[in-house]
Amino acid sequence: MLRKTLLGLALLVAGSAFGQSQLYKVVDGYKVDENTMKGFRTWRQAACDRCHGANQEGLVGPSLVNSLKTLTKEEFVKTVRDGRLEKGMQSFGNSPVVMDNIDQLYAYLKGRSDGAITRAKVEPIQ
Amino acid sequence: MRISGFQKPAWSCVGLALLALPGVTLANADVEKNIANDKNWAMQAGDMYNQRYSKLKQINTGNVGKMQVAWTFSTGVLRGHEGSPLVVDGKMYLHSPFPNKVFAIDLDTNKILWKYEPKQDPAVIPQMCCDTVNRGLAYAEGKVILQQADSMLVALDAKTGKKIWDVKNGDPKLGAVNTNAPHVFKDKVITGISGGEWGVRGFIAAYNLSDGKLAWKGYSVGPDAEMLIDPNTTTTWTDGAVKPVGPDSSLKTWKGDQWKIGGGTTWGWYSYDKALNLMYYGTGNPSTWNPSQRPGDNKWSMTIFARDVDTGKAKWVYQMTPFDEWDFDGINEMILADIDVKGKPTKALVHFDRNGFGYTLDRTNGALLVAEKYDPKVNWATHVDMKTGRPQVVAKYSTAQNGADVNTKGVCPAALGSKDQQPAAFDPETKLFYVPTNHVCMDYEPFKVEYTAGQPYVGATLSMFPAPGSHGGMGNYITWNAGTGKIVQSKAEKFSVWSGALNTAGGLSCYGTLEGYLKCVDKKNIEKELFKFKTPSGIIGNVFSYEHKGKQYIGVFSGIGGWAGIGMAAGLEKDTDGLGAVGGYRELNQYTELGGSLTVFALPN
Repeated sequence: MLRKTLLGLALLVAGSAFGQSQLYKVVDGYKVDENTMKGFRTWRQAACDRCHGANQEGLVGPSLVNSLKTLTKEEFVKTVRDGRLEKGMQSFGNSPVVMDNIDQLYAYLKGRSDGAITRAKVEPIQ
Repeated sequence: MRISGFQKPAWSCVGLALLALPGVTLANADVEKNIANDKNWAMQAGDMYNQRYSKLKQINTGNVGKMQVAWTFSTGVLRGHEGSPLVVDGKMYLHSPFPNKVFAIDLDTNKILWKYEPKQDPAVIPQMCCDTVNRGLAYAEGKVILQQADSMLVALDAKTGKKIWDVKNGDPKLGAVNTNAPHVFKDKVITGISGGEWGVRGFIAAYNLSDGKLAWKGYSVGPDAEMLIDPNTTTTWTDGAVKPVGPDSSLKTWKGDQWKIGGGTTWGWYSYDKALNLMYYGTGNPSTWNPSQRPGDNKWSMTIFARDVDTGKAKWVYQMTPFDEWDFDGINEMILADIDVKGKPTKALVHFDRNGFGYTLDRTNGALLVAEKYDPKVNWATHVDMKTGRPQVVAKYSTAQNGADVNTKGVCPAALGSKDQQPAAFDPETKLFYVPTNHVCMDYEPFKVEYTAGQPYVGATLSMFPAPGSHGGMGNYITWNAGTGKIVQSKAEKFSVWSGALNTAGGLSCYGTLEGYLKCVDKKNIEKELFKFKTPSGIIGNVFSYEHKGKQYIGVFSGIGGWAGIGMAAGLEKDTDGLGAVGGYRELNQYTELGGSLTVFALPN
């Protein structure tokens, strides 16, 4: 019962923000759908935590929890693809693992930024 | 035969060296003359043995308490300031982190004589993630040598700052960048490479001081010829004796072609023994951080190398952490000291490894003499088997045995080691080593990664916290007896001590702290703090001393950053996994902010 309520809330957040039904699905704050899992794995593979912190809280790079509150999806994709070299953000444009999963990466990070995904390490919904 | 493959490049290198012969004795003599003059600080460690000891004694245990700031200098650069300036004959040469500015300062007037600022592709900034440190310059024969971040090695005219030669040392597009200080031994400029987290295959390279041409290059991993290893004459510690490594000693310990992206980078401090004509350095972690992807010992990553400076040929090797599972990068400095080891006078090499063991070897042949924990909290291995030289790994802390996607908890030390690059000092009077250490443990979760050229190649998520069940701080400043392998004294510090130590004939041992304090303690009793001053930012630079116009000065860079400064200060701020541990790191933000400057101290007139 509790799970259903939480799931409903999370979907509501994701849906209302983007006018689409399923950017991510989350249960209990850390169990997520397959797409969002892919986004998490992409985050790990690309070692984003080295600059943005293990919990996206910011390190040398900015907090993505904050950044994704204002950054549009298009701006996000452009930043990841082209980098912001002067600021120390590299280009992931030639990283297939990142570019092939950019939507999933966005979903995962947006879920973290929205506060719907409550911890950085997620697990698949069983 | 592989042996002929090895000899050919070796002989061609000798040929180059012979051509440059008139420079050989001069270059050596010049650096030796400069370091023999106690008034100078002419090499990053003050000498070629990496001892970090100053014979100056105007500032001493009796008067250091009265020491005051004599002058300061801003580099105009934020980010972590490692290394230290050099002082040669009344001039100071300072470096900065990226963009790697160089300043020459006249110590008579404190005026900037010249300034050099290279143009570098900003794409290297993220390749150096997560900080753009540089560990300083070298000086020889009127040349100031700069190793830029983008891998360009540059010789500047010490009088004018004009470029004399430059040479490209690596491909930054593949993550091969530089943070290390170049070192001049004989007629060679020695430099290494960074990028172990980008799958860079590590090497050490020697360029002619005279013209910047490559003299030799020895890889850390791969075929014998490319490592400049001779299977019959290069030796290692095996079965309680020094024995030849045999053919394919590296290739046999890697699965498939993994060695080609196998790491073993070389970004530390190097030392040189003129009598043996050997230089010493350590190689870094094998790539990736996920051990399951690279079964085998991964030789010769995590290894102490002794090489002939003329030819680059490896005389001996010793691997400290075979099959690394924790990122215990082996690059920390090798300190050369003639000390009693277990009662016997020994030409020793002493090394405080990231893995938490303090090693003493016979530097003439690489025989293992002592290997003991220099932080009692080290738990990943019970001990080093003195016969095989291998650490005995505790299964519970084996991230390979626990496997990918499993979080191995409570490993001590953390990946940044019981000590990282912050160099220790050796005091010839007390015969002790003064070691700035980290007192930090970690959880480590490896996961599978794929290699893409020029992209990060890491493969583990880490969470670090102060050693549990201890004093709650994240550092210790210790004295160490390398002859017996025992801690003599240990002074607790709130944060990791990430600053290079300096000992002096005035009875002092000085180091910086991450909060920004320069501290000088009594070297005979390091619990006795004699001087403490808060510099503008956290200190990750190395303390140095020089004399000018009859006055002794002690100086240090401040400018928080590096792995410790940025990683620890900000990284765990909101980490809910760290539990009670988190408070310690968060507190660093209450002490310091970015900003690079030099603070120089002296006694009042």
